[in-house]
Amino acid sequence: MIAKKHLSRRTILRGAGATLALPFLDAMAPAFASPTRIKAGGQTRLAVVYVPNGIIMKDWTPETEGAGYELPRILEPLSAFQKDFLLLSGLTQNNGRALLDGPGDHARAAASYLTGVHPKKTAGADIRVGISFDQIAAQHAGKATRFASLELGCEKTGIVGNCDSGYSCAYSNNLAWRSETAPLPPEVNPRLVFERLFGSLDGPTDPASLNKRRIYTRSVLDIVQEDTRRLRGDLGPTDRRKLDEYLFAVREIEKRIADSEKRADAEITPDFEKPAGAPVEFAEHARLMFDLTAIAFQADLTRVVTIMLAREGSNRTYREIGISEAHHGMSHHKGDTEKIEKLAQINRHHVEQFAYFLGKLKAAPDGDGTLLDHSMVLYGSGLSDGNRHDHHDLPTLLAGRAGGAFKPGRHIRYSLETPATNLSLTLLGRMGVQPESIGDSTGRLEHLTDL
Amino acid sequence: MRLPTPILPLAAVVVLVCPAASTPEYDQAVRPFLEKHCAACHNNRAKTGDVSFEFESAEAALSDPLLWEEALLKLRSGQMPPPGAKRPTEAETQPVVRWIERELDRMAAHVKLDPGRVTVRRLNRAEYNHTVRDLLAIPFRPGDDFPADDSGYGFDNIGDVLSLPPLLMENYLRAADRIAAYIVPSGKARTPTLERYICDVREQARRIHNDDPEGYPYPPGAFEATHFFPVDAEYELVLRMKDRRKDKTEIVPIEFYFDGEKVGDFQVQDGEYQQGVFTVRRFVTAGRHTLYGDFAKPYTNIEDWDEQSYGKALFKQERRIFVDALEVQGPFNYDHRQSTAYRKLFVCQERTEDCAQRILHALARRAYRRPPAQREIDQLTGLVALARKHGDSFETGIQLALKAVLVSPNFLYRIERDPDPAKIHAVSNLDLASRLSYFLWSSTPDEELLALAEQSRLREPAVLEAQVRRMLKDPKSEALVKNFAGQWLQLRNLDKASPDPDLFPKFNDYLRQAMIRETELYFEHVMRNDRSILEFVDSSYTFLNARLAHHYGIEGVSGRDFRKVELPVSNRGGVLTQASVLTVSSYPTRTSPVLRGLWVLENFLGAPPPPPPAGVPQLDEQKIGLDLPLRKQLEQHRADPGCAVCHTRMDAIGFGLENFDAVGAWRTHDGNFPVDAAGTLPGGSSFEGPDGLKKILAQDRDAFARTLAEKMMTFALGRGVERSDRPAIQRIARNVAASEYRFSSLILEIVKSAPFRMRRGEGVRQ
Repeated sequence: MIAKKHLSRRTILRGAGATLALPFLDAMAPAFASPTRIKAGGQTRLAVVYVPNGIIMKDWTPETEGAGYELPRILEPLSAFQKDFLLLSGLTQNNGRALLDGPGDHARAAASYLTGVHPKKTAGADIRVGISFDQIAAQHAGKATRFASLELGCEKTGIVGNCDSGYSCAYSNNLAWRSETAPLPPEVNPRLVFERLFGSLDGPTDPASLNKRRIYTRSVLDIVQEDTRRLRGDLGPTDRRKLDEYLFAVREIEKRIADSEKRADAEITPDFEKPAGAPVEFAEHARLMFDLTAIAFQADLTRVVTIMLAREGSNRTYREIGISEAHHGMSHHKGDTEKIEKLAQINRHHVEQFAYFLGKLKAAPDGDGTLLDHSMVLYGSGLSDGNRHDHHDLPTLLAGRAGGAFKPGRHIRYSLETPATNLSLTLLGRMGVQPESIGDSTGRLEHLTDL
Repeated sequence: MRLPTPILPLAAVVVLVCPAASTPEYDQAVRPFLEKHCAACHNNRAKTGDVSFEFESAEAALSDPLLWEEALLKLRSGQMPPPGAKRPTEAETQPVVRWIERELDRMAAHVKLDPGRVTVRRLNRAEYNHTVRDLLAIPFRPGDDFPADDSGYGFDNIGDVLSLPPLLMENYLRAADRIAAYIVPSGKARTPTLERYICDVREQARRIHNDDPEGYPYPPGAFEATHFFPVDAEYELVLRMKDRRKDKTEIVPIEFYFDGEKVGDFQVQDGEYQQGVFTVRRFVTAGRHTLYGDFAKPYTNIEDWDEQSYGKALFKQERRIFVDALEVQGPFNYDHRQSTAYRKLFVCQERTEDCAQRILHALARRAYRRPPAQREIDQLTGLVALARKHGDSFETGIQLALKAVLVSPNFLYRIERDPDPAKIHAVSNLDLASRLSYFLWSSTPDEELLALAEQSRLREPAVLEAQVRRMLKDPKSEALVKNFAGQWLQLRNLDKASPDPDLFPKFNDYLRQAMIRETELYFEHVMRNDRSILEFVDSSYTFLNARLAHHYGIEGVSGRDFRKVELPVSNRGGVLTQASVLTVSSYPTRTSPVLRGLWVLENFLGAPPPPPPAGVPQLDEQKIGLDLPLRKQLEQHRADPGCAVCHTRMDAIGFGLENFDAVGAWRTHDGNFPVDAAGTLPGGSSFEGPDGLKKILAQDRDAFARTLAEKMMTFALGRGVERSDRPAIQRIARNVAASEYRFSSLILEIVKSAPFRMRRGEGVRQ
């Protein structure tokens, strides 16, 4: 009954079992016949990496502004990339604050992080926040790619009940919101992410077989859509909304099949072994997710990815670096130096994995430069001081050049209460979307190009 | 497809004449109470909190039912009158509480009956797994890979909350592929594979030594693996030992177990080639099975075991022989046509159009939980034709149609239709069959239920009751334990609990599983033997194995199997004193009387306090047990009257459980201080320790029955309980009390209630 935990390794020595017969999802997988890489590149990509429970800010914020600042200890693992990112101090997410709704700062921190909207306080049926800016970007940039966006995570959720003082778990478990009521849950299993991107690799992958799969899968999807439309007619508005979610999901998949058909000749090789499952150790798990993100960007399977390194309010322990206390519990340190020290170690441990990601992006040629040159990678948390639940002066790091739009290598301090949504608006602009505002934004964020 | 749905004679359930409020009682008991205890703040001038209890008459008082709902909650939970104010006695409070309850019932009965409306429900992960298991005998659980279902009202089967993001749709497609490929594997034969579980030596040593109350390897199995066998076939099970002894003269006997059954007795001895490799070949049914190797007697040289240095000691000298690996090879001699799943799907063998029709009709009927329309069958047989047209086999065609069924909204959603949206109506026989089976089994209706529904007999009261009793007896009702009890008692959160290993070195996964198992078995015992639900609050027995008994300090229980044990002392007994509940209601480093009190108020007494206001100072963790007992700290905390309103009651209940530490072990000291488990409730009744607390809770049996009814109703309906459900819940609680609180009466009363059997049309005005 507890054996699984004790397995140190499970090896498959020969044979792979039966091959699956014509898997549905392979209908949207590319052919694997030859190991040539597609030669796309140059598009702007957006990645968001989220860490929970705030950050020990004294070890995050540099003493000086401008270029050539001394890296504080949490950011030290990024020393090789100091010229590749901007450090933005002073941004505030006002809608993460209580605003008369009482406690629940963790839920609000995650829910408002990309939406810029104050979530409705409820643990039940009527969750509501706003569409997140990554999803606005995805609706635009996603037209050209197989996946409008990918949502990834490193912590399995599944907690029962309300997650934070009367806020639904949906708020603290998700960053991306497709609409004000529809969160997009992160996939935490690297193997399943791999299969989404490249198919299961289990069936035959010659063009004729792939074509047949597409026909089969399409026929099935046609039938279920027809059924759904017929059902819809008999139902009231609430029930219809539920079935509309179903229809939307089916159409997304149809779109991907169409895309794989269009690019049937552009063969992609994952150049990467299919992961076995979710590793127990955090660092390994995070790195796999970063690998997959880099590959998805490289093959232009998507241009928008959000990654929750852990859910907001996470109580994960990091025993591999000697920390057996639960993260959230410890984040209410109340000045205890030992806890602050351990929190800083967790913060740094996260940043170490992020450095690995930047290394991957920087090593990947793309268009006229590297992937990192064409990306905007936001790293941060919806809380600054996790002990006090502060929503101002958020830890915010923006890596990449967005194709030359940004001039990284500097620490910029903005005036107090500058809306973090101004940054969202700016990033959206670089993705080719120009909404008038996002949440409580007051305009574009200045100084990203120069001073 | 629409079945004729007779409308129940509503007059039978709706009280059409509303008697006047009982004025004498109001004047005698309620008004004096309000004047004495409430009106100092809540009068027409001060209107503290925008509430006044100054009324001209009983009728005027009752003009706002919401006010009284709120007052009832505050009175019951002891939040009002606020601490510091003079406490009313129980004798004063009781008549007022009863009056409010009765008047609220009366007003609710006066308003039109409203059975509520359930939004279409997508199958959640557990329901998906059970449904494909019962539909097609699928031995694996495809739903375990799906993203977690969001929960609302404490449960993860709430129609409004369950959404279907594109990621989940992909998962459904992938699961359909897996299921189809399992039933009809492609290719000529399944290639045998070899899978090897390599043993972590340190872990093995830990297993053999850790927390061993009897000096015997425990849990049994120097090494254990749970393997998924993909199909019914023959397999070879291999046990590999590693022998690094310098002196190999001693013969070491080894036992090899499969699902707890001994399948081999071996001996490790020197001098042979391949020494220590033992093989057993046997037929295995598809699914998960456990195999382990074990030393037949405690192995020598390991007496001076030391937890701290186990790793070092292990590698230096003490342990020189251990299980190296477990292997599974197979399947051999496999024929997929012999599998249960294949025979369930292929109800006929001919490769004809007619046979395809029959196969797909039988499938769609069970999968859609209703007779399918001919049009639906035609669509599915069209897929078989499509596959054949592309040169694929008949079986591949059926496979494709099966996949279409498994991703159809008719399968994935439970959809109930309104025959007339303007009316309240009884749910159809077929919908009732699904409501029953997903309530009690978290799965699809079986043939018997479906047949009764098709014959329109399920709604007959005697048939309905007989079916409920049959379903509770069926092993499938274990789903009620896992899914209802697992969420009501928050057992599922135990998977996430991470007690500090420095403070609780003996807590490990094995103990965690044992804790969960105890409470599950306990709930299952009450369910299967139709015991009183009050045994959840207190009883003289529980279920233990050696590990948990050791944890509790109870002697005379050996081995890893659980059994019913009479408790030697009355401090344990009832779920509140079980380590599972005590652990999920604690912090990783310490107990929390606040969390435990909250747990009891929420899950036992149905009187959850509101969340704490912003800016509440936290406890100084460093000081607990060192500078100041936890109780003193909380008392300081409560000095703030804003906190005291809720905490007086919450903390008192929690303190009653202070003799249990943060993993539920008994203790007499917390840090440097003796445990003080006395408490005084706002009503003035005081108690001592868990025993006293349970006695007080047992007196409040009405509140407990109502709370459990409300929780189970939420789970049964898949929606939040609303104000309009109040009369139904009151009635259920009353009838359960009249039936000696028997478990079956709770289930039957829920099944017979209007919210379960009926449905409001979308167009009905509320």
